[in-house]
Amino acid sequence: MFQRSRLKIALAAIGMLASAAAGAQEYPTKPITLIVPWPAGGSTDLTMRAMAESASKVLGQPITIDNKAGGGGTVGPATMAAAAKPDGYTIAQIPITVFRLPLMQDVSWDAAKDFTYIVHLTGYTFGVTTSAEGPFKTWQDVVDFAKANPGKVTYATPGAGTSLHIGMEQIAGMAGIKLTQVPFKGGAETNAAVLGQHTMLQADSTGWKPLVDAGKLRLLMVWTGSRSPNYPNAPTLKELGYPMVYDSPFGIAGPKGMDPKIVAKLHDAFKKALEDPAVIATLAKYDMVPNYKNTEDYKKFVGEVTESERKVVEKLGLTKKSN
Amino acid sequence: MDTLLNVAHGFGVALAPINLLYCFIGVFIGTLVGVLPGIGPISAMSLLLPVTLSGTPESGIIMMAGIYYGSMYGGSTTSILVNIPGEAASVVTCIDGHEMAKQGRAGPALGISAFGSFFAGTFALIALMLVAPKLASVAIAFGPAEYFSLMVLGLVVLTFLTQGSMAKALLMACIGVVLGLVGLDSITAQPRLTFGRLELIDGIGLVPVVMGLFGVAEVLINTEQAIRRDIINAKITHLLPSKQDWQASAGPMGRGTILGFFLGILPGGGAVVASFASYALEKRLSKTPERFGNGAIEGVAGPEAANNAAAGGAFIPLMTLGIPPNVVMALLLGAFVIHGLQPGPLMITQNAGLFWGIVASMYIGNLMLLVLNLPMIGMWVQLLRLPYNILFPLIILFTIIGVYCSSNNVFDVYVMIAFGVIGYFMRKLGYEPAPLVLAFVLGPMLENNLRKSLILSQGDLSTFVTRPISAACLIFAVALLIGPLLPALRKKRELVALDEGA
Repeated sequence: MFQRSRLKIALAAIGMLASAAAGAQEYPTKPITLIVPWPAGGSTDLTMRAMAESASKVLGQPITIDNKAGGGGTVGPATMAAAAKPDGYTIAQIPITVFRLPLMQDVSWDAAKDFTYIVHLTGYTFGVTTSAEGPFKTWQDVVDFAKANPGKVTYATPGAGTSLHIGMEQIAGMAGIKLTQVPFKGGAETNAAVLGQHTMLQADSTGWKPLVDAGKLRLLMVWTGSRSPNYPNAPTLKELGYPMVYDSPFGIAGPKGMDPKIVAKLHDAFKKALEDPAVIATLAKYDMVPNYKNTEDYKKFVGEVTESERKVVEKLGLTKKSN
Repeated sequence: MDTLLNVAHGFGVALAPINLLYCFIGVFIGTLVGVLPGIGPISAMSLLLPVTLSGTPESGIIMMAGIYYGSMYGGSTTSILVNIPGEAASVVTCIDGHEMAKQGRAGPALGISAFGSFFAGTFALIALMLVAPKLASVAIAFGPAEYFSLMVLGLVVLTFLTQGSMAKALLMACIGVVLGLVGLDSITAQPRLTFGRLELIDGIGLVPVVMGLFGVAEVLINTEQAIRRDIINAKITHLLPSKQDWQASAGPMGRGTILGFFLGILPGGGAVVASFASYALEKRLSKTPERFGNGAIEGVAGPEAANNAAAGGAFIPLMTLGIPPNVVMALLLGAFVIHGLQPGPLMITQNAGLFWGIVASMYIGNLMLLVLNLPMIGMWVQLLRLPYNILFPLIILFTIIGVYCSSNNVFDVYVMIAFGVIGYFMRKLGYEPAPLVLAFVLGPMLENNLRKSLILSQGDLSTFVTRPISAACLIFAVALLIGPLLPALRKKRELVALDEGA
């Protein structure tokens, strides 16, 4: 009895190994679903579609996009972690909120354990603007004014707890000034707020582009590693003396326990996609900069980012209450 | 003169055969999704967004815009005939439109809503052409303090929406406000009332709530009644409203158009708020407010004009500032961006052909809707004339598909079903869903803008009365509230009270 059941288990295990190996060899044999945790038509959705299109050519199977928005981009990955098989046919874009939200409240996933990280892809361009009719010509003007009038400088963000909110507070901390956040809902509202001079500054991703081009808004700084080719006059954070890059980076991952061979195939396909001129052109349209990290570096990066997020979230008093 | 030249150029673009075709496809799909309960313009546009990639930017955006204003037309048909709003902005049309249909006046109700829509749509487009760049600055003059006062005004309007007991309406409004609180607190990002559920972090969606309270609940309540097939089985005659109808409707249409146009420009409720506001305004102005809720044609003409004018007005902040005032406009912004175009202050000058072409196509589309829809109402009615044991499951099916499509989230389907059951009991017990929906929409905006304005004013409450636009809204709200108490208006108040007690 005991013997037989052990034999059964052993046979089953061998069978599973064999089929898994065969699966990895032939993978992919059917279309792959890529969960994009944002609504269709947004900048993330459109760039992910471009990358999926390019990667599917390499893989020889179509990649279908499944828009599963909600929870600040966490519902999609969380659903995948809870329900999808780690067979490589369901993968998801992993926005930074997947690491941040667990620090702020109880969630169903563990970012360190529940995902198989595949490849890191890109990040957004964030910038701080002010009305062209306003008094601030440079970031230094803002710092001087804020030092004289603590808390009087207001800035609009697309939401509390977003990368823009957290980034601005980090900058304020380093500059030794106190700024007041006014959270709006999305880029459209922050544009209106700063245009109408309801807030003094706006911190947002490149939704301000047409208004900056039209000379209605003044771009005071960008948060990318190097200056944006579109706005060579806007200094980076590093140049202003804040040693950091803040671009809310993202990559893709699958459920935990994926076969390393399948991970490698997906990694290679998306790495190729990142080199595709069509993808680069789409990214440039949204001022996104390719930020490739291989599987190992991405895993390490997840740990680092979780730590740095923890520090800021704690400092801002947004940490989840332990009950 | 420049404007005329531009308009001529725009018609040149819009009349190109391929663009005419896209315009027709757009308004046709729009009317269809408007007629079918459950599938609104938002789900249709997001589903078709990838399709626009294949053509030129003009064609794609002309089609998307057509879906939007086409659905505003179509939405009224189901409201009037089966008392189920095809989309959220038609909620108010149900009140008097369906009452008219029950009295055998479905024809004039459908006719007046089509003409009202056409009239308002035309006005909105002419205004869009002439004053778009100037009006854009009005939109940005609205900061948090102004929005707060506008929302106060909006909630005051609620008191005119009720047909039954005021106490029950206020209770519904309170529930609406509480439901609106669910989700991440928009100021501090703390979850509220989410009970640890990830799905509730973004709050409860408006689409499932509206579809549940109106769509599913209506089907449930109808299954237990001896169903009156006569409304949609009877041949619909007199689509052209009579002279009397015109006389009664002219004023409401004009006021609804202007009101809707300006509310459409402002971010937020847009067409939904405009239709509610117009209904309240007409009821207030009417010499016989007791007729409202019992098939008053003014109650159809005003809101239908208002929601179409709002649909036109909503294009102004999008086209001139790149600021989408509602979800539909945000999707349209997505369509522009897919084609590498950024709507903004520069678009009118840099892409004159595109801008004026779209505006001109909207005019042509409106004309198409009028010409096609009056004869085609018969066809849409055929759709609704299916036996109820087929139609009802189909409606439920479409609402489920519609809700699922708008978020790709099964949880929202559960929410809709739950609200369907709640709505069923609300109707049985005489509670109206309209105040709940209005408070659900306005409550969170009210709170959010109150807190934002207080952050900006550093806690100084006088900000609401020292800013002129805000002060004007508040004064208007107060006037609406205490107006009925003044002796000169006492007679009217009694009539209103009578109505409320009814």
